[in-house]
Amino acid sequence: MNKEVIKNARTGEEYTLIKHPTGLDIYVWKMDNFSTTHALFGTKYGSINTKFKTKNDPDFITVPNGIAHYLEHKLFENEDCDVFSLYAKTGASANAYTSFDRTCYLFTTTNNVYESLEILLNFVQSPYFTEETVRKEQGIIGQEIRMYDDNAGWRVFFNMLQGMYHNHPVKIDIAGTVESIAQINADLLYKCYYTFYNLNNMVLSIAGNVDVDKVLEVCDKCLKQNENIELETAFEDEPDSVCEKEVVQKLEIAMPMFNIGFKAKPESGLAALKAEIETNFVLSLIANESSEFYKKLYDEGIINSTFYSEVFCGDGYFCSIFGGEARDPRLVRDKIVEEVERCKREGLDEKRFGTIKKAYYGSLIKGLDNAENLATIMLNNGMEGLSAFDRIETVANCTFEDVTKRLMTQFNTENVTLSIIDPVNGREDK
Amino acid sequence: MKISYKREKIADGIHFNSIRNQSLKTNSIVVNLISPLSEDTASLNAAASYILTDSSKEYPSLVAINQKLDELYGAGLKGAVLRAGDNQFVSIISSCINDRFAFDNEKVTEELARVTLGCILEPNLDENGFYAPDFALKKQELLDDIDAVINEKRSYAFQRAGKIIYRGEPAAVSVKGERESAEKITASTSYEQYKKLLKTAQIEVFFVGADEPNDIKRSICESFAKLDRDYSGKVETKRSALKASPEEFTDELEVAQCKMVLAFKSENADRCAATLMNAVFGATPFSKLFLNVREKMSLCYYCSSNYNDMKSVMTVDSGVEKANIEKAKDEIIHQFELMQKGDFDEKEINEARLSLINSLRSVNDSAASLVSWYTSQIFLGTELSPEDEIELLEKVTKEDIVNAAKSFKLDTVYVLKGKESAENE
Repeated sequence: MNKEVIKNARTGEEYTLIKHPTGLDIYVWKMDNFSTTHALFGTKYGSINTKFKTKNDPDFITVPNGIAHYLEHKLFENEDCDVFSLYAKTGASANAYTSFDRTCYLFTTTNNVYESLEILLNFVQSPYFTEETVRKEQGIIGQEIRMYDDNAGWRVFFNMLQGMYHNHPVKIDIAGTVESIAQINADLLYKCYYTFYNLNNMVLSIAGNVDVDKVLEVCDKCLKQNENIELETAFEDEPDSVCEKEVVQKLEIAMPMFNIGFKAKPESGLAALKAEIETNFVLSLIANESSEFYKKLYDEGIINSTFYSEVFCGDGYFCSIFGGEARDPRLVRDKIVEEVERCKREGLDEKRFGTIKKAYYGSLIKGLDNAENLATIMLNNGMEGLSAFDRIETVANCTFEDVTKRLMTQFNTENVTLSIIDPVNGREDK
Repeated sequence: MKISYKREKIADGIHFNSIRNQSLKTNSIVVNLISPLSEDTASLNAAASYILTDSSKEYPSLVAINQKLDELYGAGLKGAVLRAGDNQFVSIISSCINDRFAFDNEKVTEELARVTLGCILEPNLDENGFYAPDFALKKQELLDDIDAVINEKRSYAFQRAGKIIYRGEPAAVSVKGERESAEKITASTSYEQYKKLLKTAQIEVFFVGADEPNDIKRSICESFAKLDRDYSGKVETKRSALKASPEEFTDELEVAQCKMVLAFKSENADRCAATLMNAVFGATPFSKLFLNVREKMSLCYYCSSNYNDMKSVMTVDSGVEKANIEKAKDEIIHQFELMQKGDFDEKEINEARLSLINSLRSVNDSAASLVSWYTSQIFLGTELSPEDEIELLEKVTKEDIVNAAKSFKLDTVYVLKGKESAENE
């Protein structure tokens, strides 16, 4: 077993990476004097991974949308009971989530850490589905899909992705649709389970009040040997252009909501992290709350304090998003496009770069107080083959030249999608 | 690990609360101005929470103050308006990294305290009150936020239900006020009310961090000592009165999923017993509501209960298909009757208790949860640590829980229903 302590001189922090013989990568961050422990057991498998093959499959297989999320729900059921009732005995608070490119099972606890860890490792490694239990879940997931149909913040984002992407499955809702989940059965769930829940494709990450050796003791006892099945995932080719420039929907809300996305080429590994961080710098320089551009739009009442910007990226997708509520979202888009072009011509504000760097760095330092945050960083970075300190180091070493270059490559004003949610009847004066 | 909590009076009705946790890498300063909720002042107070942190006399614009905060390593400085029982909080929350992480040994925390105090005690004014152009924007934002409650249907239903549950009590007042009263506020009325708040409100200042906050305390004490005070006394919250018979109320909106909120009230439940009762009944994923109403019967996507110990009200909120509303309501009430009959065992109690203990133990790990914990202690008139509360919970028996459950009666059933047109889509 290979055990390595990863240290960071800048913060004085450290964690341990263990390459377990079963194929699993285990990350442990001991936080002195904290009571809470947060553990994540995750697989690199999310809603976008609907096309895949292993060395046992002659060809690529395509499965229905929403299956990763469905599988997450079903794994929470053991053969004889619900997983929550197992955790009830340790007092840990447990949950799970499915994103575009991961599924994670987690618990937070201040007592019985190792008993809880045993529960986590055991249930994720013991799938049990029958046609009947699979059918029963359709009602619950159908309700969940309907709940998100009413959620304007969620819809405005997905409508933008649908407008932006021609083929990439990031455009599909994580839970799928009522129609797509109707095609899911026990055989398909087992097929996906044995493909993606192979320990070679998974990470265990724990931060908080823990002891590395005790964690390993539980792992040695509970982890099952896994053969490397040479998993490959694939996506349809995605053009550089956006599919539609504007998508509009109506819902019961008070003021129009918008997402404005700039589509750009995705990268992977450390290059992807660098792209994300440098693009975040560009977004802060152009439009954060200390920028002249923000002040101008805000003072004119074109945007309000709900305005934000962020980078959204992952396996095969990358875009920069400006969002919020505004009376005239099209005007916001035009102003942003204009400002991006102006910055490209006249350059970004170099004076503000240093302060933005301090602010970015400070926000990462604040994150060191939170077990959930640290466990999540180790897991996310670990799945990309990166160290948990790569973000803080990339921020500290970022230069103004890098950021300027990024403005030129990630902000093509031709490849912009605007998504709007309009109120059903305009605002009623009550 | 030992957490130290110290509460000191620094002026009439003003206290400095310091909480030290040596493992924290972040320092936080929170100033709460607390006053009774009222229709007349809710929007005026809310407006202050919107405008105070956007500028000050020294940093007279949003850009100026944000640039300053960026220099302080991305320090946070935000206003918020919150409700606790019958009271309204205007809350100013700031936080920054511990000085030892700064690149050049800057005194980040002291500087942030100075900026924060500037916002509170020397706001950006003109001859009439709050600086008019900024105020106009903030007022619009307040109106937009009041309107935007409808965007999130779960919290919208909860807010609408609150109007029925607490009818006639301060707790029924929306924390940002109603649109009509918010429309009437001006830079001048809002500033006059803010001055009154500084004069009369109960003020609780918190510092949370790793180090002894001597310098910060000194500057806070000096600043607040200069205030001209006419303290109107410690705020209170009354238990909510039970209606003569349960009231049913329905709203209609174009939504795909209906929402239902039930409220149960008690006039004499013991706080600890009711807390545990609520956990067994509906506050965990192994509670009666989750296992039966959601899992076994698949009636709701979510269905959970919450106990407001200040108002002595337990609410159950759920997301339901239209066709299942009656069935879900009957089942929730049936499950509560089982609680009253004592139809639960020691295992359920111990598991619920363990889950409460788990969250109590984690209070010490974050500044926000520490401030919220010790604020509730101030209201309860006690100085219990989370560890003390654990001891109290350990003493609660099944009999105590049954007695608590028996004291709760159904008071309100609120439903947010989809219109026919939405059903057919």
